Amino acid sequence: MMRIGVFVCHCGENIGKTVDCPTVAKEAIKLPNVVYSIDYKYMCSDPGQNMIKQAIAEHKLNAVVVASCSPHMHEKTFRKACAQAGLNPYMCEIANVREHCSWVHDNVEEATKKAVDLIRMTVERIKFNFPLSEIKVPITKKALVIGGGISGIQAALDIAGAGFKVILVEKEPSIGGHMSQLSETFPTLDCSQCILTPRMVEAYQHPNIKLYTYSEVDNVDGFIGNFKVTIRKKARSVKENLCTGCGLCVQKCPIKKAPSEFDEGLANRPAIYVPFPQAVPNIPVIDRTVCTFFKTGKCQMCKKVCGRDAIDFEQKDELITEDVGAIIVATGYKLYKIDKKSKDAAVKGYGEYGYGKYKDVIDGLQFERIASASGPTAGEILRPSDKKQPKKVVFIQCVGSRDPSKGFEYCSKICCMYTAKHAMLYKHKVHDGEAYVFYMDIRAGGKGYDEFVRRAIEEDHVKYIRGRVSRVYEKKGKYIVKGEDTISGVPVEIEADMVVLATAIVAQPEAAKLAQTLGIPYDKYGFYAEVHPKLRPVESSSGGIFLAGACQSPRDIPESVAMASAAASKALVLFGNEMLEREPIVAKVNENTCVGCFYCKKVCAYNAIELKEIKDKKGNLVKVVASVNTGLCQGCGTCNATCPSKSIELIGFNDEQIFYQIKAL
Amino acid sequence: MADIISIARGVFENKKADILIGYTKATSEGRTRPVIVRSADEVQNLVLNSSCLNNLATYLTRKENKGKKVAIVAKGCDIKSIVQLIAESQIKRENVYIIGVKCNGVKRSFEGEDSKKIAEKCLNCNVRTPHLADETVDMSDEGLTGKDEKAELIEKLDSMSAEERFAFWEEQFEKCIKCYACRQACPLCYCERCIADKSMPRWVESSPTKRGNFAWNIVRAFHLSGRCIGCNECERVCPAGIPLSLLNRKMVMVAKSEFGYESGMSADAPTLIGTYDLKDKEEFIK
Repeated sequence: MMRIGVFVCHCGENIGKTVDCPTVAKEAIKLPNVVYSIDYKYMCSDPGQNMIKQAIAEHKLNAVVVASCSPHMHEKTFRKACAQAGLNPYMCEIANVREHCSWVHDNVEEATKKAVDLIRMTVERIKFNFPLSEIKVPITKKALVIGGGISGIQAALDIAGAGFKVILVEKEPSIGGHMSQLSETFPTLDCSQCILTPRMVEAYQHPNIKLYTYSEVDNVDGFIGNFKVTIRKKARSVKENLCTGCGLCVQKCPIKKAPSEFDEGLANRPAIYVPFPQAVPNIPVIDRTVCTFFKTGKCQMCKKVCGRDAIDFEQKDELITEDVGAIIVATGYKLYKIDKKSKDAAVKGYGEYGYGKYKDVIDGLQFERIASASGPTAGEILRPSDKKQPKKVVFIQCVGSRDPSKGFEYCSKICCMYTAKHAMLYKHKVHDGEAYVFYMDIRAGGKGYDEFVRRAIEEDHVKYIRGRVSRVYEKKGKYIVKGEDTISGVPVEIEADMVVLATAIVAQPEAAKLAQTLGIPYDKYGFYAEVHPKLRPVESSSGGIFLAGACQSPRDIPESVAMASAAASKALVLFGNEMLEREPIVAKVNENTCVGCFYCKKVCAYNAIELKEIKDKKGNLVKVVASVNTGLCQGCGTCNATCPSKSIELIGFNDEQIFYQIKAL
Repeated sequence: MADIISIARGVFENKKADILIGYTKATSEGRTRPVIVRSADEVQNLVLNSSCLNNLATYLTRKENKGKKVAIVAKGCDIKSIVQLIAESQIKRENVYIIGVKCNGVKRSFEGEDSKKIAEKCLNCNVRTPHLADETVDMSDEGLTGKDEKAELIEKLDSMSAEERFAFWEEQFEKCIKCYACRQACPLCYCERCIADKSMPRWVESSPTKRGNFAWNIVRAFHLSGRCIGCNECERVCPAGIPLSLLNRKMVMVAKSEFGYESGMSADAPTLIGTYDLKDKEEFIK
């Protein structure tokens, strides 16, 4: 015999203002099997929860209906309270009388009636509830970190430091990411490599971190706590176990003129190369697209000079599988290349700025390399075309950012700060030089950020002009920057020696593909989506997959590092448990009636449907039916809606529960 | 070209199949009926002509035929349902030997005026030469002609208001006697326990009431959307004369116009339900 208690919450005025809660409680007690009902100002408060616990004991309740806010908010709270009173938590259901009623109506009488209806429906439904227990799944206490930039390194170090194994996968030949290319970092102007390289080395040497560079994630199967990852270790053409990193091959390589990725095309590198001197690992890679041997079958100079016989022209991509329990995605960003026409037709580009046409019109990362002591000019500010010191430099912000008509709607966030830094670095190195910055707004929210920009303006005398640039063109060896000063309302024309464009931060070109491999959502720009922008900012909606750094949206270094540690702590929360407890709200197949059309498998977004062979006692195959992997199933119910014969049900939302809930209306 | 009898004999002599599903003469003049032939000695009664209306694919999923290697006489439209059955894991391609019929159209009905007209589904047929077959057989061209009256009706229904359309279907479904002949004839209604027979809880009322009739016919139309290949057997066998093709053909039209999808053409093609594409139209979401 079901003994149901109904608890009506006022939610302060949220419900109480539109729904007459005492009347609702009085009506609820009249419903069949309801033996107790009461209303209270805040049911979720401690006294409110205690009322439920007491009522369960005093009235021997075996089911509880709480009429309150959305189950999203407090279902867990009330189920826990019930569990504390000795009731199975799944014998507690919420009737949503806030979002579904009080918030969307204003007529008290009708809203009150509707609240009673909603409760009656839930009461009818709960009669078909049955006790459920959490599903327990084992956890592989090892993490995969995708991306070896500062975010990935930080996340890997944090997890490794807590005593768990980490697989760190980086697609480039060295870890370090974009941070290794930067000269100084805002707002403290400390040398980027000086603070980064110790971290790189620490990650490389850490006994708990296994590093795969020049590698990519090919495939991911499984689910939270139990992922199976396939890593493609691309052919480096150098045997890592033999190479000592002496660098002789790099010196002797006859190809000298391949554009250096690390120097953003401002310098050249050989066909066999280490991206930069502090690269980790310090093992060269052969760029097969430019190597003479791979193009003509002749040369082998590197092989001849290598004393360790480490060169392997035959090397092939290697596929490695690893079992991991958590995945941290830290794949970073790319700068929007404005000279190339975007695949996205909405992004029209900025041909009028002459990027790609004039050698001295460069982007932010190129300026970083020019300003960097490890760069092609050894830190001296020289313009690319004639290696002369530019006396007048114009910096243009928001090239592609905040521009719905030609670029992207979003703000790239870091450009205001790095442009101020660029202008400041330039002024520090070229004392008699002039620096101009065209900006839309200065967005310098952050610790010490606004002070930094003020310093650029006030102490280093960088000239900030509020306005857009319409055109950059060459005239007698100068670059004429035509713009508008919108504060004084006059057109501006500057004869510059060099122009630096703060181009938009965009997602990695392969971001969407990786998201599909991982099964995580991404936005229209290719940035990965978090579950909740405020309360769950580093979790993807796929359990066990976390986000760090600029792959989620434009981020600066402090934010990326904070996010990485946050993501690492999320993985550690998972690893802190022996078994994973999952809500038992998962799909279940009726094997008697399933005919194996597998439409459920086709529609399942989580790959949770598997094939199961049904055999008779003699071992003969009778039929093949669908079967649910309860570790993967997220309880979305799409399979239920699709199954033509209703042979798959969601436990906790089964046919009878829903049928009688509807019927009560 | 060889006739159906010699092909069928070859099937058994060369051990291509354990049984053969084909057509034979029925007792009434001008009718045919399905027949299951089990040996070369029984093949002489097989026939193949424009009165071979049944879609024999519906017998492929019958329990008694499971696990057997089955040869089947199939017109292009029937082959579409075989393709769909393969795509939906109900049969294996290697277990079915398809004797594809090069067909110029069948009669609209066995008797009456309609027996002189070509079936409406044959008017816009794109598989007169079978698209999946192990061997083919010719069916004589009897020069049947006719108008696509249903196409005109669909257009008329489209131009109606929602209320008018509802009234139209109310009148049609009023006739339903819940005999489930539509389901039994349909090659794609292969569920062992139909939702209409589910009793705990009973989603579809079993008695032929207005509500139950609506529930049944609408559920069936939805279950066939993106799957129906338009053999039109449901409408042909309906004893109450409900124009079910109006529903099914409309669904097929929508699948084609909105998603560029046509069922029954390839067993490897992704199914309509279960395929998500960023380019999918969303205009129907209001």
